[in-house]
Amino acid sequence: MLYLLGAFVILLLLVAGSRGLSLLFGLGINIISIVALLILIADGFNVLITTAIVSIIILIVAIFMNVENPSTANIAFKTSLLIMIVIVLVTIPIEYWASAQGMGVEDQEELEGFSLAAGVSFPQLAVAVIVVNSLGVISETSVAITSGLNEIVENKPTLTPTEVFNDGFSVGNRILSTQTNTLLFNFFATTFPLFFLIHSLNDNLGEIINDKLVVAEVITMLICAIGVILTVPITSYLVYRNVKNKKTD
Amino acid sequence: MNKKYTRIGIVVIVALFATIFTQFDSFLYKDPIIKVENIRTLTKDKNTDEYKNTDTQVTQRVTGRFLNTAKRGQKISLKNTYYQSQLTDQKYRAGQQVMLTKTGKHYSINDVKRDTVLVFTIGLVMVLLFCMQFSRGKLLTSVLLNLVVYYGFMKILINTHNSILLLMTVITALLISGIALIVILGPTSDALMAYSSTVISTTASILLSVLLLKLSNNSGVHMELTDFGLQPYFSVFISQVIFSVLGVILDETMDISSSLIEMKKEIADVSEKTLFKSGINIGRELIGPLINILLFIVIAEHLNVVLLYLSNGNSINYTFEMTLSLGFAQLLISGIGIVLTVPITSLIASKVITRRAV
Repeated sequence: MLYLLGAFVILLLLVAGSRGLSLLFGLGINIISIVALLILIADGFNVLITTAIVSIIILIVAIFMNVENPSTANIAFKTSLLIMIVIVLVTIPIEYWASAQGMGVEDQEELEGFSLAAGVSFPQLAVAVIVVNSLGVISETSVAITSGLNEIVENKPTLTPTEVFNDGFSVGNRILSTQTNTLLFNFFATTFPLFFLIHSLNDNLGEIINDKLVVAEVITMLICAIGVILTVPITSYLVYRNVKNKKTD
Repeated sequence: MNKKYTRIGIVVIVALFATIFTQFDSFLYKDPIIKVENIRTLTKDKNTDEYKNTDTQVTQRVTGRFLNTAKRGQKISLKNTYYQSQLTDQKYRAGQQVMLTKTGKHYSINDVKRDTVLVFTIGLVMVLLFCMQFSRGKLLTSVLLNLVVYYGFMKILINTHNSILLLMTVITALLISGIALIVILGPTSDALMAYSSTVISTTASILLSVLLLKLSNNSGVHMELTDFGLQPYFSVFISQVIFSVLGVILDETMDISSSLIEMKKEIADVSEKTLFKSGINIGRELIGPLINILLFIVIAEHLNVVLLYLSNGNSINYTFEMTLSLGFAQLLISGIGIVLTVPITSLIASKVITRRAV
């Protein structure tokens, strides 16, 4: 592990130079925030409220430390905050409906010897899992679309809302494809051991599509995708409003 | 414009129809399914365990009617016990459809039927996609093709009892990244350039990391803690790393090489060295956000088990070692991959672009 860590730090500093240091700093803050989140939840703090507060801190770090242009950072932060709210609002009813919280029969071996009366609300934690999962994807998407769109808009003398939206979608297309790939390939990474195990337990399509863990993974991927999709119109709207305000000043 | 609304209308109707259909699809299931009509709470026991966790154990009587099998229409009443925290057990509600298991003449509750919510969420994503002007055709083609490849990968894994996992992962990774690039960029030389950068960067970082892991004798990395304890541990771990980092590296190589192609278009006599340098500059900005994406995905994956460990009175150190150390090793390897991709892609792209006739 130490060798890996050393190799990572050395390579990072070689490639990114002094920028590498601030990257490491940002990563450190993110890891500390997540650890704090875990400890607070284990200590009995409300899962949803703690997750919301920590997520906002993480978004601030992820966006304002990585983006130099202040107007881009501002819009990207507003967008990701809005998307976060939408994700929570979509996730709560869907998770309630799906009852896909906690762990499944597939985890039986790992659970041996544990007291299962944990006192933590795992249905709420299921919402937190999706929110945390989406943090990186959402902040990266909103930054990429905002900076791409800002560049186009600033070089145009006139613009109408339709034009900004069209540009937003042409920038968004590529980003949506790549983020979908990232989400899909990560879904492959986590589910291949799961499917293998389910197969050895019970090979029945009906069981698989209703399986708690499979459904939880699919829903996580889909809700993150919803976040990415919605980032495009929201960013386009905010960029348009921003430019309009500037022009009328 | 009218055509667009008709299309959205059709998608909404199909999504709704599919969702409603799953409410009445119990005839497709072999397992008995009931619709819960009535729930009565029998007992509530509040207890505190040895780690001072307070939880309430609830016993409920679930009464429902069979939706399929020969007993269709008949009533049944079952007992269900759950903890309020619902880690592995389940609170049932009236209106839910529940799958049962039949052993002999005895029925017991198995699980919630979740296909409706699954179909609904897929429908929601489709409706959103059709409401907006994305090039859906390309996106859906690449997702579908990749799912087909993944299905084949899974079938072969199962048939070979997981014995050629690493080989299959490499082949699958080569296929899915190729499909993704061809669909996004088209069958062009640009796609080939990005493809070779992706393959070389991923290979280099995995080989380097495996070497480092071997040198340190896997110290601090608990291979036996891979998801669900699937064997062989090392291959499962490396396969997970490859799949997980592949999407991000694809994103990175495409970003860097397409920016350099743009640059060559604008400045025809740009030198190889300038291209390489701007490649590094562009890549530098990508490293942070891309590592973040994986960081949160990997940590989210482990939230449940971390909290289980912590609530069972384990120290933070022990918890993280048992639950997150593998995740962190995965992240470090991914990080090495993401960093190495920057110079490798910049080098390949700058060489190819300057040698190519414009």
